[in-house]
Amino acid sequence: MIVYILKRLAIAIPTLLLLIVLSFLLMHAAPGGPFTQERGLPPEVLANLNAKYGLDQPLWRQITSYVWGIVSAFDFGPSFVYKDRSVNDIIAQGFPVTLTYGFLSFLVAVLVGVTLGAIAAVRHNTVIDYFAVGLSIGAQVLPNFVMAPILVLVFTLALHWLPGGGWRFNDPHFWVMPVIALSTSYMASIARIMRSSMLEVLTSNHIRTARAKGLSGLRIVLRHALKPALLPVISYLGPAFVAMITGSVIVDIYFSTGGIGKAFVDSALNRDYAVMMGITILVGALTILFNLVVDIIYGWIDPKIRY
Amino acid sequence: MVIDSQKMQSLAAATAREDIAGRSLWADARRRFLRNKAALFGLLLLVFVVFFALFGNSLARWSNDEIDFAVMGQAAELGGPSLETGHYFGTDDLGRDLFARTVQGTQISLAVGIIGSAIAVVVGTLWGATAGYFGGRIDNLMMRTVDILLAIPYMFVLILLLVMYGRSITMLFAGVGLISWLEMSRIVRGQTLSLKNRDYIEAARAIGVPARTIIRRHILPNLIGVVTVFATLLVPNMILTESFISFLGLGVQEPMTSLGALISEGSGTIAYGTLWQLAFPLLFFVTTLFGFFFVGDGLRDALDPKDR
Repeated sequence: MIVYILKRLAIAIPTLLLLIVLSFLLMHAAPGGPFTQERGLPPEVLANLNAKYGLDQPLWRQITSYVWGIVSAFDFGPSFVYKDRSVNDIIAQGFPVTLTYGFLSFLVAVLVGVTLGAIAAVRHNTVIDYFAVGLSIGAQVLPNFVMAPILVLVFTLALHWLPGGGWRFNDPHFWVMPVIALSTSYMASIARIMRSSMLEVLTSNHIRTARAKGLSGLRIVLRHALKPALLPVISYLGPAFVAMITGSVIVDIYFSTGGIGKAFVDSALNRDYAVMMGITILVGALTILFNLVVDIIYGWIDPKIRY
Repeated sequence: MVIDSQKMQSLAAATAREDIAGRSLWADARRRFLRNKAALFGLLLLVFVVFFALFGNSLARWSNDEIDFAVMGQAAELGGPSLETGHYFGTDDLGRDLFARTVQGTQISLAVGIIGSAIAVVVGTLWGATAGYFGGRIDNLMMRTVDILLAIPYMFVLILLLVMYGRSITMLFAGVGLISWLEMSRIVRGQTLSLKNRDYIEAARAIGVPARTIIRRHILPNLIGVVTVFATLLVPNMILTESFISFLGLGVQEPMTSLGALISEGSGTIAYGTLWQLAFPLLFFVTTLFGFFFVGDGLRDALDPKDR
């Protein structure tokens, strides 16, 4: 197990380095620099600016010092647009928000999705099943950027129940719509995956044995069917996580929640490359870490896998 | 020796009967597909959307970047859907005809979906078939590359690319194509692995057929089923990706538009009572996605040998 984790880390670290170097080179190769303006700066000012941000150094020096800054001090360098803020400041401001509603959405998607899928499978071909299947098909075509305006239309403009945007850590009213918008389509996917794998497990031999022993239906489902049925769901969690992080961009834009997604798009529009790269690398690192955790959980649940 | 005359007669009758027309794999698949109501419904939706995209403009009375100055600035009062003004779907804030814009948005979205999927088919199939057929170190190297690329948060990288190298539609196609082939190559590789140990492949190798010809003549035709299904399911995903980027305002640029951009515009103005700006693009978006998902599911059921 430990060997396996180490092996996975041995792949993860080069991947991350590759991501850093790649985005750095992309940034460097892009036409224009961070200080390119319509009316060009005087050459002396430009030289000073370049010296301040280290842009006068040779390329390999820039890359190594950037990578070293991240590795040694978790320092993503200064923002190119906001003179008084570093990339770290910007990330530190938005990240807690993204983390809060992201975590809640993930929890909702997994818990509701698994429950719905399991019930649909146990009550196969009943009204509940049809409802679950219909919901999962419907939600497939309602990605977060479609859900968000519909939610606002219903809950803010028509019913006046919830605030249409903004974020407060101490008021759950502000959390509801971001969480629903972000989680719905993944909840539906999880429900669909759970339903089909549960249907398969329920017809397998060990479940028949359990029935023959005279165990109660609930006990069979919870003790014997749930665990094997969860495996396909777990392998879907990695992609779902990436998709949710991506979706947080929409949530931040549409609900003005102020997470890192907003910072990312702002920096994209302002050409603040340093912030873009910082967020991309952070998200990449989170993704790799999360996939590792998922694989470990998978191995822990599935007794067939031995490392 | 007694000859069972009855048996002989029935045998003679049986040989005299005309040959029963054989059913090929594809005929079988077509029959299964046509029996699937959801898939047929999806196909119908798709035909409708494609016709709308191709011929919708000949119905439109306005072009997509023409401004109706009678409506401009008063979209909420005057810009609603109406047959008299020729704005069947209403107008946007600037007085541009939403019908023509929806036609154009549908065109762009379909194009992005189909081109992204086509790139995935070509690159992903070749990559996966090569890795799977040769195996060993080549396979390891090629598939590790795919693993690494899959671990990168591609949407962020795509936005990075679009911002740095200009938001052109070519860049969008390239960016979408860059990521779409990864999953495809994994699926194709898996299928190739199970194909390459079949007897007929071994026979071809034994008589000295070169690897390239084996892949082209024997492996690729057998991959068509899997690739078709996955490509169909990939189209809506590509459309979703493009719409996502356009929603952020980083996709196609004005006066061109896509369904994602229109939905974004419409959702920004719902508070002002111009609901049609959201409803019509959303309707076509959802219809297109439904169509592709249903057809893709139907194709999978029709071509997947597991369910027979």
